[in-house]
Amino acid sequence: MVHDDYKEMIPARALSALDVAEAQALNEHLENCAECCKELDEWQATAAALALGADPAEPSPKVRERILDDVRKDLSEPHVVPFRATPRNLWSSFGSLGAMAAAVLFTALIVGLIVLWRQNNAIRKDLEQSREFVQLVTSPGAIVTELKATDVAGRASATIAYDRSGHAILLASNLPNVPQGKAYQLWFLVDNASPMPGKTFAPDSNGHGVLKEQVPTEALDSPVFAITLEPAGGSSVPTSPIYLHSISINF
Amino acid sequence: MLKAIAARDEAALAQLYDRYDRILFGLLMRILNNREEAEDVLQETFIQVWRKAADFDETRGRPFTWLVTLARSRAIDRLRTLASRERVAEARAREVSEEISDAATDALKSEQRGLVSDALAKLPDEQKRPIMLAYFDGLTQSEIATRLGAPLGTVKTRMRTGMSRLRELLAGQGESFGF
Repeated sequence: MVHDDYKEMIPARALSALDVAEAQALNEHLENCAECCKELDEWQATAAALALGADPAEPSPKVRERILDDVRKDLSEPHVVPFRATPRNLWSSFGSLGAMAAAVLFTALIVGLIVLWRQNNAIRKDLEQSREFVQLVTSPGAIVTELKATDVAGRASATIAYDRSGHAILLASNLPNVPQGKAYQLWFLVDNASPMPGKTFAPDSNGHGVLKEQVPTEALDSPVFAITLEPAGGSSVPTSPIYLHSISINF
Repeated sequence: MLKAIAARDEAALAQLYDRYDRILFGLLMRILNNREEAEDVLQETFIQVWRKAADFDETRGRPFTWLVTLARSRAIDRLRTLASRERVAEARAREVSEEISDAATDALKSEQRGLVSDALAKLPDEQKRPIMLAYFDGLTQSEIATRLGAPLGTVKTRMRTGMSRLRELLAGQGESFGF
């Protein structure tokens, strides 16, 4: 396809109406075409205006309360702010080398305690996840499926376990690091239907990733699982090559 | 307002919610046809706004476009995930023709809605239906072709032509929307 072919697809893309293969091809083109990106922004404004074609409706006041409750919880948690250099002269502030040494020792002690606390928390979290995974695997009717890596995922591997109710846990290892603003996303495939998007997750610095998910009811009988690299908020259709999959598939 | 939200201003988020909740909830109800699901998606959308407001790029579009795109995208994902499309579509099929004409009439309730509905009313039905089925039912072009019993190429052409016409009709109206 050439540039003009992609350009013609953009109005349908703004309506999320492209079929999977076309959407994937256009998304790849958009990564390298500023003109089409600008065009898409304009078409999305046209599409957004269609929202006004629906009758406005009043949500329950509880929705507003729930949103603001979540926000307040978020605000009450520690928030990382960019470090700002202090204008004070530290040398004169401490007044003596002894005070400096004491401050350095104290800081080292605090840092050490934080490292230990975080390691302890990480170990505890790992144990909890392992325990939960084992419980799931050993529950009646549980199914365990291995996901294999494609060339883009190198030595990555993953296992997903799910029970009859669809409660699922994915454990992945050796995943390549994700670029800023990206995350891995799980997909469910059933027969010839469009891939159904699952949740996103980011691996830790060692390439380990854990995802708790709910397998859609319609995918419970014979699901095929796949993992792609998507924008951190997730995608409605896959936009990257497959990184891992449970059987040989193509989007 | 989004800059204030990015700076973690709770009041700014509440203000944004109060400004757009009815429009967005109306859109979500139209897509999902289920109050509980629509309220869930509305909540998820505003939590996403809270977390991602810093990602909003005002050089790429208006906050309204960003909000609607976020909300609709989540609703379409949920529609497809829940496979409730058929259920919704069945309900919709009974009312789709009335809905389009109703949209043109009811739109007079507000100037902004009137502009959009007037524009929609000017589109031939053969162009309007693929657009409405994609936008509110989350159908892809192939699914629309099957639904309408029309060749895929025809659906693509009609959708593209209809969107171009809609864009022309709405051109210059962005400021009128006040978004």
